[in-house]
Amino acid sequence: MNDNVIKVENLVKYFDGRCVLDGINLTVPRGCIYGLLGRNGAGKTTIIRILLGIEPATRGRTLLLDTESTNLSPKIRGRIGCVAEGHNLIQNYKVERLIKLCKDLSLQWNDESFDHLIETFRLPKDRRIKDLSMGMRAQLNLSLAMAIDPELLILDDPTLGLDTVARRQFLELAIEVIQKQNRTILFCSHILSDVERIADRVGILAAGKLVVDCPLEQLKERVKKLRIIFPESPPARLYLTEIINRQIQGREMTITVANWNKQKQAILETFKPSSCTEIPMSLEDIFIECTRPSAEAVEVA
Amino acid sequence: MQIRIDNASNRPVYRQIIDQIKRDIALGRLIKDEKLPTVRQLAAQLAINPNTIAKAYRQLEGEGIIVTRPGSGAFIANLDSNLSKAVRKRLLSDELERIAVEAFHMQIDAETLLELFNNAVEKLNVPSKKGQSNE
Amino acid sequence: MLTLIRREIRDNIVYFIAAVVFSAILIALLIAATYNSDWISDPAVYVGFSIPILLILGLVFSAMGVTQMYMDRNRKISAFLSALPVTRNWILTARIFAGLLAILTVLVPLTIAVIVLGRLIAPPIPIFAGYIADILTTVFLMVFACYCLGLLTGWTANKIAPTFGALGLNIVLVSLVFVKGFGPDIQFLLVLVIVACLIRTWHKFMSTSL
Repeated sequence: MNDNVIKVENLVKYFDGRCVLDGINLTVPRGCIYGLLGRNGAGKTTIIRILLGIEPATRGRTLLLDTESTNLSPKIRGRIGCVAEGHNLIQNYKVERLIKLCKDLSLQWNDESFDHLIETFRLPKDRRIKDLSMGMRAQLNLSLAMAIDPELLILDDPTLGLDTVARRQFLELAIEVIQKQNRTILFCSHILSDVERIADRVGILAAGKLVVDCPLEQLKERVKKLRIIFPESPPARLYLTEIINRQIQGREMTITVANWNKQKQAILETFKPSSCTEIPMSLEDIFIECTRPSAEAVEVA
Repeated sequence: MQIRIDNASNRPVYRQIIDQIKRDIALGRLIKDEKLPTVRQLAAQLAINPNTIAKAYRQLEGEGIIVTRPGSGAFIANLDSNLSKAVRKRLLSDELERIAVEAFHMQIDAETLLELFNNAVEKLNVPSKKGQSNE
Repeated sequence: MLTLIRREIRDNIVYFIAAVVFSAILIALLIAATYNSDWISDPAVYVGFSIPILLILGLVFSAMGVTQMYMDRNRKISAFLSALPVTRNWILTARIFAGLLAILTVLVPLTIAVIVLGRLIAPPIPIFAGYIADILTTVFLMVFACYCLGLLTGWTANKIAPTFGALGLNIVLVSLVFVKGFGPDIQFLLVLVIVACLIRTWHKFMSTSL
């Protein structure tokens, strides 16, 4: 059985004539922790909203748990936990009332784990949601999403507004979820260190395309930044494919290459550079390189 | 066992775990037959995806550095074992080749490289063949 | 579903209270009118009371429809609910059900009062009873139509459009009722308005992004 929990096929989305998503293809298999990265406004929230059926797609289709997003039945929704961006919830309800509403509407509810979470986070039950800090709203949102024991967790910037301790608590929560078998998580985050800790696969959204979609551990090995010094001026064409970025300064050329391998190394050597140094790149560096406006849309997969 | 993940590093997280465990063994902080934390425990402690830790453990096991006993957990291997010595030698020579390549790219000459290498051997007390028996 | 309806009622409790109060006032007026028989026969009194009553009823329930939809959009209630195991269909159905319930809170006691008073003061003359039934049905349909108009115009981020839109349309509707009387033809027209509004509202609600 094809067990891809999330499937995005040729997704295109236009907002007021502006193309936000330009043919996105993505699959998340069961048990995978997928970290979706991208700059503000890249379209991460849009993808999530389309996946959840809140926003209609312009073209293409998306499937959650083998059901079209536009057709999600309550039963399927009951297996999905979501944390929406901004943690809006329902502003003028009291915490207690909101909890009761979620509990009454949910198909399954783990009282024990929910109460434990509320206690850990020390959330006040009799305050109005709009009077809670952003961090507390995020914690409440997370707790509500986890309480239904979801098969699939979709988190849109879940640690936004959380202080260091709360962020760590969230990470530990996420690890707890992962330890249970077959849970899948899709999350967007700006905090790359968090993504690096818990993601299995990483995707980077830039200029409407998914420029990176590969296992995290391979990402650092596949994307390389090289500083090459030529005896005379650098050649006009390097005949290297998948160059994400290129900068030339005098005799020096700095290139960021995807899917680096021995063949590319051999090709580079035919140009007889005087030196070729690798500049080490952290996940943050890779992210910045891939999301530069001048970056070529190269698929790292 | 204290493991620190460096987010600014260009090494993937699982490699960093492997590196640090190996380093702890070399420094004598982890001794033979010592029990390592389980994948679950380490994942919860470091707040890292358990798959990453599992991968690190698998690789260490493949290199003969740790052994997992079903039901009991992961233990530092008896590094005396001659069976894994050939494997260890091969792995080490691969690593040394990688360092030699780096040295070329960084334009470090052979003499400096050897000097750096000898410093490391001294600092970490790698025992010589003559003298004490190899651990 | 029950939870959703309860949520709607609790969020719009103001209208239910107003409905009860209104119901009480109307019944009081009715009793007063019954025991002051010269009132009923005087057409000026009849018209003088009915127009404002119908107008107020229409406007209040139209406001309820507008409030329900506007609040949802403003506070992103459906956006939150759709993350839970409910469908948009259910949300809308529960909403309309709550509206109906509020309307019936006014009209059902009124109907009972009319029947009771009718039994008390005069023998049940079929034509008279038929006439009363017509009036009540038309009033119900008119109020429900005003409510549906409110639902339709309320689903917008704008504050001005629903206020004036609903106001204008309501006045048109109420005047229509007065011009055409309470007969089956006006009932038919009202049913058409209701169906059209509900279909359009349903379509809008289902297809927009939340």
